[in-house]
Amino acid sequence: MAKDWEPKIIAFCCNWCSYGGADTAGVGRMQHPPSARIVRVMCSGRVEPSLVLKAFREGADGVFVGGCHLGDCHYQSGNYKWWRRAEALKRYLEQIGIEPERFRYEWISASEGEKFAQVMTEFHETILELGPLKLDERLKKL
Amino acid sequence: MRIATTWLCCCSGCHVSMLDLHERLLKLFEDVELVHCPVLMDVKEIPDDVDVALIEGGIRNEENVEVAEELREKAEVVVALGTCACYGGVPGLANLFSNEELLEAVYVETASTENEEGTIPSEGVPELTWRVHPFSDVIEVDYELPGCPPEPDRIAEVLEAILEGEEPELPGYNLCEECPREKREEGLIIPEIRRPVEGEPDPDRCLLEQGYLCMGPATRAGCGARCPKAGVPCTGCAGPTDRSVDQGARMLSTIASAFRADEDEVDPGELVERLRDPVSWFCRFTLPASLIPFRVDR
Ligand code: SF4
Ligand code: SF4
Ligand code: SF4
Ligand code: FES
Repeated sequence: MAKDWEPKIIAFCCNWCSYGGADTAGVGRMQHPPSARIVRVMCSGRVEPSLVLKAFREGADGVFVGGCHLGDCHYQSGNYKWWRRAEALKRYLEQIGIEPERFRYEWISASEGEKFAQVMTEFHETILELGPLKLDERLKKL
Repeated sequence: MRIATTWLCCCSGCHVSMLDLHERLLKLFEDVELVHCPVLMDVKEIPDDVDVALIEGGIRNEENVEVAEELREKAEVVVALGTCACYGGVPGLANLFSNEELLEAVYVETASTENEEGTIPSEGVPELTWRVHPFSDVIEVDYELPGCPPEPDRIAEVLEAILEGEEPELPGYNLCEECPREKREEGLIIPEIRRPVEGEPDPDRCLLEQGYLCMGPATRAGCGARCPKAGVPCTGCAGPTDRSVDQGARMLSTIASAFRADEDEVDPGELVERLRDPVSWFCRFTLPASLIPFRVDR
């Protein structure tokens, strides 16, 4: 593994909870590795499998999705929909040969800055262990 | 008008579909000279100055690449004829395996094969590409005409337009819009997932609402919803609509979102339990053109 390699993580966080959680972590100066690029989405229910697959295709080594706790979604059932999609997507990833551990989702409220920092740290370490996905090299192959 | 057709990694079904135009083909080809057509003619060389090239099939080996490139050079307009050409098609599921695994399966492991030495042909045959590709990965394509095979009427429409010097158009919407089956007005809800052999589908209602995995929502219209009309779920042979990047991912999303959408606390485990093989089910025709077009750990 290249020494200077750093995991690239794309984190989709819902506006009403997890993005707030990331903010709380930031305001509270809680430490977590800077490997995650956070993309704010209005609801985890907005995240489609194709967004996650596209992130992998375009170079992510890990993809994270954060939503409100079940029952707390601002749009009521968005995260339930996402939960089903996420589990179906896991099965898909496994079949297509991407370690399901490269994909993680959690329910994190706006006040749970600590949880956000902890999950991000753990996920960073998981990806460090798995190494780079290196999809781009194989995408170029004829 | 000088037309050339060829076949790459395919089954020739798209050519047969063109022949299914019957008399209409005579009319269509009135001012056409078929200058190259290995399916019908004993030809080796591709002539220069081709006006329209119809290419059936995707890219599976080095020869396919060469032929595609040569036709691109010599033809004014290149049409991808059929789903294999547009998206890789069914042969694209081979991308779930390494070439070694494939050759081993075909030449050594099949029950009827007698090959004690385990010889794999290597001389005088073109080498396999690393994976199956839609041919737009190799050359520029002017028009795509998906379908496995495309409906004869769609082929005629597209050819007529090109011969008239017009832009051929495909329906951009999904199959459900042309499917006559009754749909719930409040939107799609899938109460359970059933295999095609389980139960007897209601003859009039949407198949997906009855739990049969019909790919209509993720598939381009154009065939007139042939399969659902005959009581069989659509397997997605016409590929994605204009509005989605990945047919399989779109279908996965649709099914997961609609599964028991009327209930609040649904355990996704029950859904996953019934979706054993999502890649071969949802990407049966489009894996080589999907976002992750091969098994990554192959
Ligand atoms: S699209 Fe279908 S009919 Fe055409 S070559 Fe491929 S498998 Fe055969
Ligand atoms: S049967 Fe299939 S194509 Fe017809 S409306 Fe239902 S899902 Fe769409
Ligand atoms: S219904 Fe679906 S599988 Fe059947 S011909 Fe039409 S697009 Fe193809
Ligand atoms: S708004 Fe946070 S998950 Fe729906």
